[in-house]
Amino acid sequence: MALAAEAFMTQLAAAEPWPENAALYQQLKDEQILLSDNASSLAVQAFLQMCNLPVRVVCRANAEYMSPSGKVPFIHVGNQVVSELGPIVQFVKAKGHSLSDGLDEVQKAEMKAYMELVNNMLLTAELYLQWCDDVTVEEITHLRYGSPYPWPLNRILSYQKQWEIRRKMKAIGWAGKSLEQVLEDVDQCCQALSQRLGTQPYFFNKQCKGLTFQYRRLVPKIRPTELDALVFGHLFTILTTQLTSDELSEKVKNYSNLIAFCRRIEQQYFEGHDKDSSSSATSRSAKRSLLR
Amino acid sequence: MSGPDFGALGEEAELVEVEPEAKQEILENKDVVVQHVHFDGLGRTKDDIIMYEICDVFKAKNLIDVMKKSHEAREKLLRLGIFRQVEVLIDTCQGDDALPNGLDVTFEVTELRRLTGSYNTMVGNNEGSMVLGLKFPNLFGRAEKVTFQFSYGTKETSYGLSFFKPQPGNFERNFSVNLYKVTGQFPWSSLRETDRGVSTEFNFPIWKTNHTLKWEGVWRELGCLARTASFSVREESGHSLKSSLSHAMVIDSRNSSILPRRGALLKINQELAGYTGGDVSFLKEDFEFQLNKQLLWDSVFSASLWGGMLVPIGDKPSSIADRFYLGGPTSVRGFSMYSIGPQSEGDYLGGEAYWAGGLHLYTPLPFRPGRGGFGDLFRTHFFLNAGNLCNLNYGDGPRAHLQKLAEYIRWSYGAGIVLRLGNIARLELNYCFPMGVQSGDRICDGVQFGAGIRFL
Repeated sequence: MALAAEAFMTQLAAAEPWPENAALYQQLKDEQILLSDNASSLAVQAFLQMCNLPVRVVCRANAEYMSPSGKVPFIHVGNQVVSELGPIVQFVKAKGHSLSDGLDEVQKAEMKAYMELVNNMLLTAELYLQWCDDVTVEEITHLRYGSPYPWPLNRILSYQKQWEIRRKMKAIGWAGKSLEQVLEDVDQCCQALSQRLGTQPYFFNKQCKGLTFQYRRLVPKIRPTELDALVFGHLFTILTTQLTSDELSEKVKNYSNLIAFCRRIEQQYFEGHDKDSSSSATSRSAKRSLLR
Repeated sequence: MSGPDFGALGEEAELVEVEPEAKQEILENKDVVVQHVHFDGLGRTKDDIIMYEICDVFKAKNLIDVMKKSHEAREKLLRLGIFRQVEVLIDTCQGDDALPNGLDVTFEVTELRRLTGSYNTMVGNNEGSMVLGLKFPNLFGRAEKVTFQFSYGTKETSYGLSFFKPQPGNFERNFSVNLYKVTGQFPWSSLRETDRGVSTEFNFPIWKTNHTLKWEGVWRELGCLARTASFSVREESGHSLKSSLSHAMVIDSRNSSILPRRGALLKINQELAGYTGGDVSFLKEDFEFQLNKQLLWDSVFSASLWGGMLVPIGDKPSSIADRFYLGGPTSVRGFSMYSIGPQSEGDYLGGEAYWAGGLHLYTPLPFRPGRGGFGDLFRTHFFLNAGNLCNLNYGDGPRAHLQKLAEYIRWSYGAGIVLRLGNIARLELNYCFPMGVQSGDRICDGVQFGAGIRFL
C-alpha cells in the first residue's frame, strides 16, 4: 500500500512544474545548526542550484521536528514535503530534472557507491565529532543545539539527542573508536575521493549538449552530478567551520584537488547571490565560523 | 403528642401516656454533657487531625444534638479518605467522674491499609479509558495521600504521580503536587501531543465559592499524526515549554453534575503563561455558565453559555495546543468533533476566541416506561446549540471582535435520548440538524452519539 501511495504521489508530483515559492528548511544558521546538518543542507542547496531550480532557504528552530523523517533539510514544494538528499533527487527526477541520466549503468552504480561512502564515512565522522567527542560536545554542541529553547528544555533536548546518537554509534560499531581512528577514516575517505576526482573538474565528466564559456574559451559543457553536490556540501562545510581544533579540516586540506573542487563549485554556483541568509555558502572568505 | 388510645383500660392508658412524654423530654429537653470521646482503631493516624474533626461533638447540648454532631463528625472522618469505616456508639458515662447526664461517644474506626490498588474504567469526552491506580492513603498520619495512576484510553495514554495534603481541620483547603506524562492523539488536527509536566495547586473555599491556584510547568512535544498533515500543522511540530500560573473559581449550586434538576454553575478560569519561564506567553480566559430550572411534569429547562479568549503576549503567534476548539457531540451538536472554524487542508487549527450556547429541555421518556427503575436513567431532550470560533486580530478593538464573533454563527437543533451513568457520565444519542455551516466545517447531520462529562 505504501509503495502504491508513493507511486501515486510521484505521478502527482510529476504533473506539476517546479513552483516559484519552493522552500528549503533548515535550523537557524547562526546560532543553532550543527556541522552535519549544515553539510547536508548545503549539499541539497548545491544540487538544486546545479539543476537550476530556484529555492529559498528558510531557517526555523524546529526544522528537525517539522521534517517527515526527522532529518534536515527538507523541501516544501507545492503540497509536497520531501526530506534528505536521496528522496529529493528522486523527487526532482520525477519532475523531469536529472543530473545523472547521462551516465551509464556502471557509472550510476559507481556514483551510488561513492555517495554511500560519503554518508557512511564523512557524515558519521561529523556526527561522531559533534556528539561523542567530549570537548566538542561541551564547548560547541550543547550550547548550539538547544539555544532557541529556554532552560531546562535546552539541556533536556541536547542530552536526549546525544543519547540517541551515541546509541546509533554503538549500533554501527563506532562507539569504541577513538578520535584518532575517526580522523584516520576521514583521511582515507578523502583519499578515495581525491583519487577518483583526479585532475578532472567533476567526478563524472560526461559531456552534455551545449557549450559554456569558461577560462575565456568556449568549452563543451560538463555537468556535475548529485555526487558532486554531496561531496561539496560536506567538504566545504568541514573546511569553513571552526571547531575546537583544526584536525578535521586539516585532513581535507591535505588534498589540494579537493580544495580546488570546492572552490570551483562555490564560484560557479554560489557566487553572485545576495550575501543574506538565503545561501549559506556565499562568504568571500574561505574561513567562516559556525559557532560562538 | 398523645399516646395510643387503649380505650377502657383507664389506668394503664394513663401510664402509657406518661412514658412517651418522658422519652421525648430526654431526647429534646434534657441537657447532656459529652464527657469523653473515645477512639478505637487508630494506628498511624495522628491525634491532632482527629481532634479537629470531632471537636464539635463536645459542644452538643442534648441527645439529638449529640447524634447529629456525631453523624457529622463521622461524615468528616470518612471524607478524609483514611478510614475504611467509621462507627459511632453513644452511651452513658460510667466511672468515678461520671455525671448523671454525661455521655460517652466512641468512634470505632478501621484504617485503610498502607497500600491500596484499584482498577477502573473512565469516560471522558467521547473517549474511554482503563485506569490502574496505586494509592498510599494517610502516608504520614495526617491524611496525606500519594497516588500513582496509569491510564490507557482510546485517545490518550498517561501516567501520573501525585501528592495530596489537606490542611488539618480544614479539609477543603488542600494542596497537591503532580507529575505527569500524557500523550494524546487528535485526528481532527492531525496532531499528536505529548505533555510531560509538573504542577502544584492550592484549593481553598471562600464563602460559597471554590478557588484553585495552580502553577504548571509543561514540556510539550507536538508532532504530525500522519504524513498527510497540512503544512500549518507541520510548522507547529516541535518542542515548547509552558510555565503558567492559573486561577479558577467555581460556584456550583446544582443538585448533581450530570443531568441536574435545579441550580446553577459558574466556572471562571484564567491562565497567564510566560512570566515564570518557558517560551510560551499568553493570557487565557474562559468561563462556563449553566442554569437549570425544573418545570411542570418532571421536565427541566437548562441554559448554558461557554466562552473564552486567548491573547498571545509578545510577537510569537499562539500555539495550536493552547487554542480553543468547537464542535462535536459534547459541544455544538451536529458538527464533527472539534471541526468548526479555521482549518487548513482539512486539519482544524482551533481559534483564539469562541463562544457557545445551548438551550435544552429535558423530559422523561414518552409514556414513561420503566418508571421508578431503569426508565428514570433515561431522559428525552430537545436542544438548540449555537457557537462561533475565530481568530482575532487584537489590534482591532473590542467592537470589531464582537462583530467578528457575531458573524457566521453556527447553530443546530434537534432531539435525542440521554442516559445517565451514575453520577459520573452521560451518554447521548441525538438527531441533529446543523445550520449556519461555513465552508470548511465538517458536519455530522443525522444521528450523532456522544459520551462524556461536560456537555454544552
